Amino acid sequence: MSFLPTFLLALIAALPMGWALWAAASQALDVSAWQALWADPQTLRAWGMTLWTGLASTVLVWWTVARLLAHGFIRQQLARWLTHVPALLATPHAAMAIGLVLWLSPSGWALRLVSPGLSGFDAPPPWLTTQDPWGLGLILALWLKEVPFLLWVAATQLQREDLRRRWQAEFALAQTLGHTPATAFAQVVWPQLAPRLRWPLLAVLAYGLTVVDMALIIGPATPPTLAVLAWQWLGDADAAMQAQGAAAAGWLTGTLLLAGVLTVMALRVVAAMRKFASRGSLPQSQTTDREGWLPQKTPTWVSYFCRRLPLQPNVMWTTILTTYAAVWFALTVGSVSGVWPFPQLWPSLWTGDAWAQVIASAPTVWTTLGLAAASASVCLVWSVAWLELTPRRWQQALRPWWLLPLVLPSVLWVVGLYSVALQWRLEGQWLGLLLAHAVMVLPYVLLALEPAYLAVDPRQSAVVASLGQSRWTDLLRIKWPLLKRAIASAWAVGFAVSVAQYLPTLYVGAGRFATVTTEAVTLASGAQRSLMSAYAALQMLLPVLAFALAAYLGRPRQFEKIGSMKDNT
Amino acid sequence: MVAPAWAQAQKADWADTERAARGQTVYFNAWAGSERINAYLQWAAAELQRDFGVKLQHVKISDAADVVKRIRAEKQAGRKDTEGTVDLVWINGENFAAMKRDGLLSAPFAQALPNFQWVDTVGKPTTLVDFSVPTDGLESPWGMAQLTFFADAQRLPKPPQNMAELLALARSQPGRITYPRPPNFHGTTFVKQALIEHAPDVKALAQPVTPAALAAQAAPLWRFLDALHPHLWRGGKQFPQNSAAVRQMMADGELVMALTFNPNEAANEIAAKRLPATVQSWQFAKGTIGNTHFVAIPYNAPSKAGAQLVANFLLSPAAQARKADIDVWGDPTVLDVARLPAAERARFQSASRPGQVAVTAPVLPEPHASWVDALEKEWTRRYGV
Repeated sequence: MSFLPTFLLALIAALPMGWALWAAASQALDVSAWQALWADPQTLRAWGMTLWTGLASTVLVWWTVARLLAHGFIRQQLARWLTHVPALLATPHAAMAIGLVLWLSPSGWALRLVSPGLSGFDAPPPWLTTQDPWGLGLILALWLKEVPFLLWVAATQLQREDLRRRWQAEFALAQTLGHTPATAFAQVVWPQLAPRLRWPLLAVLAYGLTVVDMALIIGPATPPTLAVLAWQWLGDADAAMQAQGAAAAGWLTGTLLLAGVLTVMALRVVAAMRKFASRGSLPQSQTTDREGWLPQKTPTWVSYFCRRLPLQPNVMWTTILTTYAAVWFALTVGSVSGVWPFPQLWPSLWTGDAWAQVIASAPTVWTTLGLAAASASVCLVWSVAWLELTPRRWQQALRPWWLLPLVLPSVLWVVGLYSVALQWRLEGQWLGLLLAHAVMVLPYVLLALEPAYLAVDPRQSAVVASLGQSRWTDLLRIKWPLLKRAIASAWAVGFAVSVAQYLPTLYVGAGRFATVTTEAVTLASGAQRSLMSAYAALQMLLPVLAFALAAYLGRPRQFEKIGSMKDNT
Repeated sequence: MVAPAWAQAQKADWADTERAARGQTVYFNAWAGSERINAYLQWAAAELQRDFGVKLQHVKISDAADVVKRIRAEKQAGRKDTEGTVDLVWINGENFAAMKRDGLLSAPFAQALPNFQWVDTVGKPTTLVDFSVPTDGLESPWGMAQLTFFADAQRLPKPPQNMAELLALARSQPGRITYPRPPNFHGTTFVKQALIEHAPDVKALAQPVTPAALAAQAAPLWRFLDALHPHLWRGGKQFPQNSAAVRQMMADGELVMALTFNPNEAANEIAAKRLPATVQSWQFAKGTIGNTHFVAIPYNAPSKAGAQLVANFLLSPAAQARKADIDVWGDPTVLDVARLPAAERARFQSASRPGQVAVTAPVLPEPHASWVDALEKEWTRRYGV
C-alpha cells in the first residue's frame, strides 16, 4: 500500500481533533483556576462521588455483561436478546433517568400502587429513593443504559466469522476434555473476548465518570458529581468560574486516564491469574460451580445464598427489559399528565399540550436528519477508506487516537471544538457543525465497523484478483455486500450519536441550528414533566428509525448463525 | 402641533434606524424553557415581519450564561464589530454585569428608543438599575419579576407572610418545605430575601460587598438558616436543583409550597392543567425581592439597527399588553400603564384568574450584584458540602 492515502486520511481526521485537544488543554491549564478548584470545598467530595458512581457502575456493567455473554453463548440466546438492543440503545440517557424517577421517587408510581391502601401514606414519605446521597440511583440508571451498549459491542465481535468459528471449535474441544460448558466458556472463549472489549469498557467508564444529564436528574445533589459541578462552572457567566470548570474537566480527564490504565491492568492481572490457576489443573466438572461465575473456593453457604438471588442471566435480562418497558410506559403516561397529586394512581387532569409542542417543533426533525445522515456518512466513508487503504500496523498504532473522543469528557471536547470553529471561522455554519458532529461520531462508527471489516478473509480478495477482476469489482461485488450488515449498523450508530449531541450543536452552531435534542434540552430547562417525556419520544424516534433501516438494509442472517452454533458442534 | 426641534431630530434618527433595519435578520438568543414564551416570540416575529420587514429569529437557549460565554469567546478570537452570531440577548443580573464589565455590549441605545418614554422608571426603578448595576442604556427593559410563593390553599390555608412565619411553618410541617440549591438563581434569591429580612443595616446591601460587610450583615441570616434547615425537605442536607423541581414536588404533594419569579406562574400552570385551580400565589406582606429583565445588544451584533427595532417593538404598549396577558404569557409590564393614552391603557385590562397574586406586595430592591457570589460561596461552604 502506498503511504500517501494513509497520510492524507490521518491528516483529515487528526487535524481537527488535535487542534481541538490542544485548544481544550490550553484552557484547562490555568494555574489560578486550579488553585480555585482546590480551594473549593465541594471539589474533593464531588470527586469522591464521581469515582464511586463511575467505578461501581462500570464494575457492575462488566460483571453483568460477562454473565450475559456466557449464558447467551452457551445457551444460544444471544440472538434473541440482541433483537431488543437497538430500542434500548436508542432510549436517551435523560429519558431513562426521568422514567426511573417517575417510578422510584417518594411520590412515584411504585408507592402510588400501594398507597394509601397498603402503605397508609396520604402524602409522599420522606424517603431518599431518588437523588440519594449514596448515588445508588445514578448507578442503577448507568447500569441500565450501559449494559445494552457493551453487550451490543461484544456482539459485533461475535459477528466476526473467523473468531466465531475458532471460538466455537475451541469451546467444543474444551467440552470434550471434560469441562462443563460454563468453565469451557470462562477458560477458553472469555479470555479471548475480554481484551477485545477493552475500549468499549473504557467508554463505559468514561461515560460513568463524566455523565451530566443523568446525574442532574437522578444523581446526588449535595454534593453532586464532579462532572455536574464542572458543567455548572463552565456555564457560569464569570470567566474565572469558567476557567475553574475547565480545570475540573481537566482533572476529570486525568482521573479517567488513570482509571483507564488501572482498569486495563486489572484485566491483565485477572487474565494472568486465571492462566496461572488453570495451569496443570485437570478439569473438575464435578466440583466446579454449575453456573461458573462464583470463585471456585466459595464457601457453600455463600454459593447457596448467591444462587437464590435473582442474578441468573435470564432473570437479569428480563429485569432490564421490564425496566425499560416500565420506563417507556411511565414516560407515555407522563407526557399526557396534567394535575397528578399523590396518592392517585392516574392523573386527575390529562393534557395533550406537550404533544402539540412536539408536533410544532417537527421542522427540527429535518435539520437533525440532515446533520446526522451527513456526519454518519462522512465518518463511514472515512472509516471504510481507513480500514481498506491503511496498513494493519498503522491502524493498530493510531487506533487509540481515533477513539479519544469516546473516552475524554465531552465538556472538554466542546471547549476545544468551539475554539477550532472560531479559529477556522466556522461558528454558526453548517459545515462547522458537521465537523463537530463528525469528530464525536467517528469513534463509534470505527468501533462498530472494525471487527467485521478485519474479519474478512484476505484470501478472498486474492482469489478475486487472480480471476482477473479489478479491486473495485472485488469491493463492490464481493467484500462490501458481505459486510453490508456491519456497514449499515455502523452508520446507524453514528446517526444515533449525532442525534444525541447537545453542547457541540449549541456552541458550534451558535444556537442557529435547532435539532430535536437542542429543542428537548432547552424545553427541559423549564422542567415540565409532560414536555420532557414527550420530547424523549421524539429523541428516540430518529435513532430507532435509523436502526430499523440498518436492520432492513443488512439482512444477512449473521445473528441466526450465532444462534445456531450448537448445531455445528 | 409642532414638535420641538430635538424631538424632530430624534424622529429622523429613528426613521434612519427603521430604514436600515428593513431586510435584516435579528438572531434573538432567548431562554426557551417555556412553550408560552416561544409562542409569544413567534407572534412578535410575525408582527415585525409584516410591519417593519425585519426577520426575528428566536435562537433557543437553556441558559443566558452560555450566550455570554460565546460572545466572550468571539471577542477573544478577534471578531470585529459586525462579525458576531448574536444580535439581541435576553439577560439580567450577573450576566449583564459580566457583559458590561468585559465590554461585550454595543453603544447605549435604550433611552433613544421611541417607546422608552412609557417606561415606568420612577415606580419601577429596577428598569434603570439591574441588581444595583446601572444599565447606562446598554439594555432595554422587557419585563418585571418579583419573588412569589404559591401553594394549594387546601393544604396551606394560611400562607406565611415573612421568613419567621416560614420557619414556624417548617417546624409544624417538617420535611415539606425547601428551596433550590444556590447558585441556582431562585435558591440564591430565597437566601437574599432572608438576608434582607434579617440584615441589621439594609442600606449596606446596596454597596459592593466587603468581607466585613458580609460578616456583619449576614450573621443573622446564617443563624436563621441554621434554625430552618433541620426542618426542611430531607433535613436540609439536600436541596433540589431548580425551582421547576420544587414546583413538581409541590404538584405531586411532596412539598407544601413552591417559589417563582413570575407572579403569574401559578395562574399559567393552572391554565395549562398542570396545577389544580385551588393553588394560590402570594408575596410576603412587607415585600419581596423584585427585578427587571432586559434585552441587550452585543458589541459585534451584525444587525444592530434591526436589534434596536425589535427592542423598541418589545416595549410597545401592544406587545407589552399581550405579554402581560395571562392567556399568552403573564409577564408583568415595565410600562407606566397610567400614563398611556386611554386606547393603549385599555389593552392592559384583563380579568383576574385563579392562582394570581391577590394583593401585590412592595418590591424590595436586589442587593448589589457582588453580593451574589459572596453569598453563594459562603452558603456552599456552610451547607453545600
